[in-house]
Amino acid sequence: MDTLKVRDAKDVEQVVQAAIASEQPIEIVGHGSKRQIGQPIATNALLDLSALNAVSSYEPNELIITVQAGAPLADVQSLIDSKNQQFAFEPIDTSMLLGVSGSGTIGGMIGAGLAGPRRIKAGGARDHLLGAHAVSGFGDSFKTGGKVVKNVTGYDLCKLLTGSWGTLAVMTEVTLKVMPKPESERTLMLRSLDDLTANRAMTAALGSPFDVSGAAHLPNSAFRPASGALADLGSRSPGSQAQAVTLVRLEGIAASVADRAGSLSKTLASFGAVEILQDAASAAVWRAIRDIEPFAASGSLGAWPVWRIVCPPASGGALGQALARDTGGDVIYDWGGGLIWAALPPRPDAQAALLRQRVEAAGGHAMLIRASELVRSNVDVFHPQPGGLASLSERVRHSFDPKTILNRGRLTLGSRS
Amino acid sequence: MAIMMPASDQAVLDRRDKIVAALRAIVPGEGVIDSAAEMLPYESDGLMAYRQPPMVVVLPDTTEQVSQVLKYCSEQGIKVVPRGSGTSLSGGALPLADGVLLGLGKFKRIREIDFDNRVVVTEPGVTNLAISQAVAHAGFYYAPDPSSQIACSIGGNVAENSGGVHCLKYGMTTNNVLGCEIVLMSGEILKIGGKCAENAGYDLMGIITGSEGLLGVITEITVRILQKPETARALMVGFAEVEAAGECVARIIGAGIIPGGMEMMDKPAIHAAEAFVHAGYPLDVEALLIIELDGPSVEVDELITRVETIAKGCGSVTLQISTSEMERNLFWAGRKAAFPAVGRISPDYLCMDGTIPRGALPKALARIRELSEKYGLGVANVFHAGDGNLHPLILYDANKPGEMDRAEAFGADILRCCVELGGVLTGEHGVGIEKRDLMPEMFTEIDLNQQQRLKCAFDAQGLLNPGKVFPTLHRCAELGRVHVHGGKLAFPELPRF
Repeated sequence: MDTLKVRDAKDVEQVVQAAIASEQPIEIVGHGSKRQIGQPIATNALLDLSALNAVSSYEPNELIITVQAGAPLADVQSLIDSKNQQFAFEPIDTSMLLGVSGSGTIGGMIGAGLAGPRRIKAGGARDHLLGAHAVSGFGDSFKTGGKVVKNVTGYDLCKLLTGSWGTLAVMTEVTLKVMPKPESERTLMLRSLDDLTANRAMTAALGSPFDVSGAAHLPNSAFRPASGALADLGSRSPGSQAQAVTLVRLEGIAASVADRAGSLSKTLASFGAVEILQDAASAAVWRAIRDIEPFAASGSLGAWPVWRIVCPPASGGALGQALARDTGGDVIYDWGGGLIWAALPPRPDAQAALLRQRVEAAGGHAMLIRASELVRSNVDVFHPQPGGLASLSERVRHSFDPKTILNRGRLTLGSRS
Repeated sequence: MAIMMPASDQAVLDRRDKIVAALRAIVPGEGVIDSAAEMLPYESDGLMAYRQPPMVVVLPDTTEQVSQVLKYCSEQGIKVVPRGSGTSLSGGALPLADGVLLGLGKFKRIREIDFDNRVVVTEPGVTNLAISQAVAHAGFYYAPDPSSQIACSIGGNVAENSGGVHCLKYGMTTNNVLGCEIVLMSGEILKIGGKCAENAGYDLMGIITGSEGLLGVITEITVRILQKPETARALMVGFAEVEAAGECVARIIGAGIIPGGMEMMDKPAIHAAEAFVHAGYPLDVEALLIIELDGPSVEVDELITRVETIAKGCGSVTLQISTSEMERNLFWAGRKAAFPAVGRISPDYLCMDGTIPRGALPKALARIRELSEKYGLGVANVFHAGDGNLHPLILYDANKPGEMDRAEAFGADILRCCVELGGVLTGEHGVGIEKRDLMPEMFTEIDLNQQQRLKCAFDAQGLLNPGKVFPTLHRCAELGRVHVHGGKLAFPELPRF
């Protein structure tokens, strides 16, 4: 296995051109923190972007940052944090879930496009990528978008690059939108709701004018394996039986948060007594939810495959409840019910057929975000699309990479060679 | 006409009667228009300097009809130009002499309002404003608000990725749509996304949004709706210098405040607007900022105070804070009427739409003033200051020989200047035909080829809205060729581990 550590965009072009010439696919990696996601792929060469790690420019007053794709996400986050700014979509750190170290690179964050709890308010990674330089499977460097927040010049290829898992082009530099960090936050917490009632409570909160920036539900089962920030949350007192909690986050200037917390508590009064988590406690809980701490690789469900299910938010409770019952698994809800993480007891097929049938019936889709290589070799990791859409997606992929040089087979089962 | 459109296909024009008959078989009754007089309303869109009657107009009212029309045109090699309400400011719906104009005006129904999932499923011919009106009784609205929202269709908004004054805080169309039903040029009907926050697979909705009618014809859209903020208040702040106004904008953002809207007008725009709507704008300032804060009243009150302090710190010479809805609306009235106001002081005007980094505003305005002298044409500037989107309005008289050409050359220079300053050619109006030939100022041939390859994935024959966006048309086969560089190379000499 060759690891080709590129120094600049020119090197990337050369590697891809050589790969085209020798008809050898290449795997694209930054820190490799998400290599365990996707259909397993086998290439003779790794294109390593980790040395392309510079911050090209950061202009807090313009709300943009331009960085090379291999820049470590953690470093970039501390840089923008020093100016009280953040990536508003709350990129997920998958390291705890996958049992690897490090949260990876900016390129990986965009390639995976996994957004956290604030997606319901601030949008996803796709909504924050403003421009990119990339090398296509034609071996050519191209750019798309720009370095301003408002731009409709030409097709918005940034949307395609986000969440394409490295199958369209090798990003070398990206421009991202940054947003001010909220001055304060509060989380409203309801206890002991079943999944359906919790779903209704979250729907009521999200349908209110109080600008909710997070809505999650942790059934009592979620506390079984929990350690860290969530460990004490489910119990009123040490040692007592854990109860489900439903969490709704408000962010902004302190006076506004306090005011909205008061109003929203009244809106939610019919669902039970509202407890309040303040700034640091609130932040810790949402970080744990963002990173799916109950299903951590080091925890008691570490060996279970984990599905990431996206569905219409108001259907989430019913779907999650049915899945937990029929698969014997555990679920947690984010995005007001629109995102379900499901850890299922291990089976060779990760219960894909049953799960996808239920998910599709609810109008959603599901991705197997954690499973052994053997399971991922036999199961569609990404949700299979209906014929017409699958053909169009394949034509789109082909328009960037006709020789299937880049991450060949990562998205589609059986397309490895 | 300064912009060349693709050459007409005489063989298609010769078959016109047959084509009209075939289309009538698909869309019966009044849905096919072929008389010159009745086609008149369709010969132009919001870019009224350009006119071209189409070969025939078709107004289907079902997705199935759209599919059959496209399938027929695809088989017959006939070009198709889709059209919503025809309010495009970049000529996106300009017909072709040998093309079918496919109007979506009959797709006027809101299909579903789903408050629990906070979405509306609508047909594309519904106006932007009608969506907000349909959900207003429950306190909801649809956030993107282009100035033409009374007239523009949501389908056109998706095609153009329309913005509006509130998009700094609430995003453009692309940030507020979840799914669509789209008919490809082949006639194939596809459903993309729906009520989920994000879709499986590549983000096709993201690429369709803003594709200017070149990738497919949208027949249904699912949009996100939001709860209306509890209240909104505005500040109107005058500055003796544009630089100070620019500094004020930067400091507001730097202080972590994202206003619902933040607009700037220069002196000529202020005067034109004031003469038109009598909003009480100060006439002796060089720049006027309208800053709107929205949210719960405690939040708005506090932010108003913070913004007031910042504005004074930047040397504001006038400052008013709205104390009622009536007053807030009055502050906005002049800005919202800026285009027609300028229309009153000049026989014709061209509205430009570049975006620049906010910090480059004083430089851009200085350059625009120089160009104004060079071309001998007046200019008024309105500016979405929060997101750097500049709308210079170039004043000219089309009846004076050569003035329109001069105005267009002036406009092109402004857009070149935007790109030089690190910005882009268009922030919200689209490329269309208007900025098509300027695309090489921003993109290399390789960049444009990659975009056109994507077009090939949707429309391999290049029949849907050709002549828009891209300055040069290429055959898909030519674009798809992979060049092997240097034969069978080993991987280059790079550090290996």
